Amino acid sequence: MTASAGRTTIAHSLLQRWSLAVIRPSEVVALVVASIALVPVLYLGWRALEGGERALASLTHPRTTWLVLRSLGLAVAVAASSALVAFPLAVLTERVAFPGRRWLAILLAVPLAVPSYVMAYAVVAALGPRGTLASLLERSIGLTRLPEVYGFFGAWLTLTLVTYPYTFLALRAALRGLDQAFEEVARTLHAGHWVTFWRVTVPLLGPALLSGMLLTTLYVLSDFGAIAILRYPTLTYSIYNQYRLSFDRSAAAALAVLLVVLSAILLIAERHWQRRAAFYRTVGTRRPPVLHSPGWRSWLGLSLVLLWGSFAIGLPAGMAAFWFLRARSLGEQLPGIGEPLANSLLVGSAAGLVTVALALPVAWTVVRGNGRYVSLVDLPLWIAYGLPGIVLALALVSFSVRFLPWLYQTLPLLIVGYALRFLPEATGILRATLAQQNPRLEEAARTLGLRPWRAWLTVQFPLTLPGIGSAFALVFLTTIKELPVTLLLSPIGFTTLATAVWNATADAFWSHAALPTLLLLGIGVVPMALFSWWQERGAERSNE
Amino acid sequence: MSETCAVRLAGVWKWYRGTAVPAVRDLWLDVRAGELLAILGPSGCGKTTTLRLIAGLERPDTGAIEIGGRVVAGGGRFVPPEERGVGLVFQDYALFPHLTVEENIAFGLRGFARQERARRVQELLALTGLEAFRTRYPHQLSGGQQQRVAIARALAPHPAVLLLDEPFANLDAELRLRMREELRRLLRDVGVTVILVTHDRDEALALADRVAVMLEGTVVQVDTPERVYHEPRTREVARLLGQASFVPARVLGRLGRSDIGSFALEGAEDPTEQVELLLRPRDVVLERHPEGLGVVVDRRFVGAETIYRVLLRCGITVETSQPPSVELAIGERVEVRCNRARVAAFAGDERIGLAALLERLGRTRSADTEAPVAGGTDGAAAS
Amino acid sequence: MRRRDLIRLGGLGLTAGWTLLAACQSAEPTATPAPPTSTAAGAGMAPTASPTPAAAATPTAGATPTVMTRSQSAVVTIYSGRSKSLIGPLLDRIGQELGLDVRVRYGDTAELATAILEEGDRSPADLFFGQDAGALGALAKEGRLAPLPSELLQRVPQPYRSSKELWVGISGRARTVIYNTERVKPEEIPASIVDFAGNERWRARLGWAPTNGSFQAFVTALRRMRGEDVARSWLEGIKALDARVFPKNSSIVQATINGEIEAGFVNHYYLMRERAQAGRPLPAENHFYTNGDPGGLVNVAGVGVLVTSRASDAALALVDYLLSEPAQRYFAEQTYEYPLLEGVLAHPDLPPLASLNPPALDLSDLDDLKGTLALLQEVGLL
Repeated sequence: MTASAGRTTIAHSLLQRWSLAVIRPSEVVALVVASIALVPVLYLGWRALEGGERALASLTHPRTTWLVLRSLGLAVAVAASSALVAFPLAVLTERVAFPGRRWLAILLAVPLAVPSYVMAYAVVAALGPRGTLASLLERSIGLTRLPEVYGFFGAWLTLTLVTYPYTFLALRAALRGLDQAFEEVARTLHAGHWVTFWRVTVPLLGPALLSGMLLTTLYVLSDFGAIAILRYPTLTYSIYNQYRLSFDRSAAAALAVLLVVLSAILLIAERHWQRRAAFYRTVGTRRPPVLHSPGWRSWLGLSLVLLWGSFAIGLPAGMAAFWFLRARSLGEQLPGIGEPLANSLLVGSAAGLVTVALALPVAWTVVRGNGRYVSLVDLPLWIAYGLPGIVLALALVSFSVRFLPWLYQTLPLLIVGYALRFLPEATGILRATLAQQNPRLEEAARTLGLRPWRAWLTVQFPLTLPGIGSAFALVFLTTIKELPVTLLLSPIGFTTLATAVWNATADAFWSHAALPTLLLLGIGVVPMALFSWWQERGAERSNE
Repeated sequence: MSETCAVRLAGVWKWYRGTAVPAVRDLWLDVRAGELLAILGPSGCGKTTTLRLIAGLERPDTGAIEIGGRVVAGGGRFVPPEERGVGLVFQDYALFPHLTVEENIAFGLRGFARQERARRVQELLALTGLEAFRTRYPHQLSGGQQQRVAIARALAPHPAVLLLDEPFANLDAELRLRMREELRRLLRDVGVTVILVTHDRDEALALADRVAVMLEGTVVQVDTPERVYHEPRTREVARLLGQASFVPARVLGRLGRSDIGSFALEGAEDPTEQVELLLRPRDVVLERHPEGLGVVVDRRFVGAETIYRVLLRCGITVETSQPPSVELAIGERVEVRCNRARVAAFAGDERIGLAALLERLGRTRSADTEAPVAGGTDGAAAS
Repeated sequence: MRRRDLIRLGGLGLTAGWTLLAACQSAEPTATPAPPTSTAAGAGMAPTASPTPAAAATPTAGATPTVMTRSQSAVVTIYSGRSKSLIGPLLDRIGQELGLDVRVRYGDTAELATAILEEGDRSPADLFFGQDAGALGALAKEGRLAPLPSELLQRVPQPYRSSKELWVGISGRARTVIYNTERVKPEEIPASIVDFAGNERWRARLGWAPTNGSFQAFVTALRRMRGEDVARSWLEGIKALDARVFPKNSSIVQATINGEIEAGFVNHYYLMRERAQAGRPLPAENHFYTNGDPGGLVNVAGVGVLVTSRASDAALALVDYLLSEPAQRYFAEQTYEYPLLEGVLAHPDLPPLASLNPPALDLSDLDDLKGTLALLQEVGLL
């Protein structure tokens, strides 16, 4: 209901301005994208209403409340822990001059490419009752009982391992873009390094932190793979069960509507906190961020970072490597990997580009638009993000089969599906990037005779490139591991690394899952490396 | 000298990483306690670097910096910015967006007791006229208000020196003039030593007690605004400070002749045959005269005055600014009279001395310019 | 320097990738990646009863498939809930044999069924291959399946096809109790699966997978045959015995082999696959309920032709092949399931299909998983 109310007022305010002929093309694009993102919500509403009483019954069942609380509890816990983890990771890799910190930063973002259920398997394999740790402890200390990995603990750990890169990437981008002037002024006001950090730098990172935590929360709400394996029933779990067991789309839709309401509440809360952010960049020359030389505290921090990183990457990589080597030793023949690999690369890049291209006007409208409600135009996107993948997939199936049959099950539609799924990741980062830009720079360019968009393109766009690169990398990583939309919307016979892993693990052919999993991790490094290299180049150039 | 010297830079050099040309080279500067010193120079001349060196945001490669007699940089010592007691106001103010006006101002007062802090904040709010805005956030303020907050914030912890980096660059012309006056008044009241960096010469001349002209990383001249304006040390400084015309003059001994009059050379050690006299637009008066040595070649009306460009017999075009009472047409012959007692005399790039005008009237017969000057002919002697 | 290195590295990587890609693509059609047996073959000690993949797939002298119509390179679209590793090679082979362009979408059975329901009349699918009868029943109930010719239906015994002639089973999957032979004597297995509950001998020794589709089908069967209350008390009883919860049947089997648990409720073929992979004798055995007990439920993986199919002839030809000897032998030998075609023998280690005596139940009714879901949630297993 919030969504449609917001939409009418947006339309209204836009209509007003259209009649004044001051509407901008970016706003039109943003509105179109937002409308498409409303499709899943409309689909849910339609299906839920179709169910009538049945749907209502499933909503009012006491178990539903219990599930809602569990979902929220897990989401909040994971958001908090991943922020807690990502924060020192970002600061240590951005602000302290460690050797090889760029590569470390790249590697730390890579766990994003791991499907949550693969990470769940890895966590169970390592920490489960028959896992590596258990056998190690048994042999050395004789400890036989370990804390239960199934349930909340396992789900929380797994999802933290998979989602911390969101906040990590957002914080890194924000740290890079942070205006040195604030910290310098603080220092002249008798604030030493620590005080400046806590009282100036950290609050200024608030928006980035919030957007990362929002992504994490919504991801956890929509996750199915990890919680299924780790046996922590949530609202999404119930939704899947309704689809799989009851073939009851209405009951599932009703529960999903509940999820939508939850997401909307979270979004509005986050937006309320974000309202105060208006951080401008210095008009003068851009100074490179100060790199501190590492003290003993930094080294301690680094060792913890390395520990975490090796855990996050080592678990899935180790498990996959183990399978692979075992398959090798048994002389197994593994299925060809060339095609899924190429497809994953293709689809990941395409999705990244399309998503960023669509996200720019949306982020622009949110940050620079005038009018009270225009900043709400990206809410439908976020709501779509909080939906379980299966819901989005079915909604797109339903929609495209009816209205775009010639596009159904083709690659373009798949890319659009990915874009819809992952738009908020891009808009979140781009919003933060654009908010850091000083509109005065463009105004200066405009006084020199450049049209508005041209002014922005010439002056601000180069400054936006790090954010764009970050957004592209993020979308790429999450696309290559995506499953439900791929399974239902891809052209028939189109395999990706993710579907290869799933096909293999579905029937416990672990050896077949090994190579795709390793490759998922491997190609996750590529966009991160490219992006990092590009950022360095951009930083060097702007310091000339 | 140290007691009256608030800031001293001695032989400071600074290279930025990876550059061959130093940003600051061999910089010597003394700033007296309580004065407002403006550092004037074109962009890239190193003035901002100088400010950052004083603030402690950059380390000098060689040389020493003292604040209030205490060495803060050089000789192996380096005092970090948080311990130097300097206030800094950036060009775009860098107000903490997540804090209110009050909180911004109070930021540097963390070491103070709460009551003391509140009192000081109130004092500054009153001083800058911001009481009504104390709970607002920076993005809710206008440019001028933001500037005041930035200044109040910098002044709050009683700094020994206040550093301002192009403080008016972000304001529109009208506001700029107004704020300039306000700032001047405010700083006089507070009595703190101020170093102001700017590329706007009007600003420097209007506000400063002394102006330090910086070119290519070093201070070329430090003087009062009048002296820097009328007696610049080099041609470049002259041009930096305003519109400059150089009129050639023939010199023999200590006397010279030019199209604007004859003069006695003062303060020069080696008199040369040819010098050039620095003329500012308001230094000459034009009067219609059929036998005048100048011809009006251009005329530009700019409101309060009219700019005339006059071609002198010697071939130089002088740009002058005349009040509205003077109405001349292009092509008219005019006599060009210098209305200053002394103008700067340049030989080559350097100023070698001052030329005391003996003849106020530039009207001479053509025959006279050929003959060597043996003394004043007509006209009153220079005072 | 660094930049250039990265560019070089990138270029190198790209060229390597492309050559790898090209190599793999040209290699794929000729490679024979039949996974279940390839693991066995790779183990070096091929189990006695598994012939090479090639032999299994080519028609032997004897029952040759009767191709109903020769469809020249018609396109058949299959939505398959059975995984690519399991039946991919078979489907490819069929396509080649019949001269069809077979396009398969692999996914989860229920999700694909739901997708078909969503697609409605515009569904591009011709054939639905479901992992279990429940999904087929759900599609049948919504009227999405077309009646099959009786000739095809009758190749399969009556319990293993739709009573309304809308779908037909292709291979059978029997519920069994797997037990560790070193810890459990065969006599200790209760005569009915219901008797496990409340039996203290099994405290903390059982394993089950409540999230598994086959288990849920079994619970549905239990509900229908013995009523809600019996089903509920059974579930609560087993839970009270501290039965260990596993995510998948394969984990139960592994745990039984390892001795972590002594018995578990699984499908019959998992143990066979483990034996094939291990290549050595394992201390575990399947117990089949052959007395009509609900514990002996035989579920089927089956196919149905969609009403919206535009290539129903080709689809039927495919079904025909699936119900012919070569395909049925594939299931017997590669996936260790029960071939349903009369005359094709199951794996020698398995009791023959005829002797299984499964509970009298219309498998179509297994689509009433809603009630099962509610029950499982009520007991707290889901």
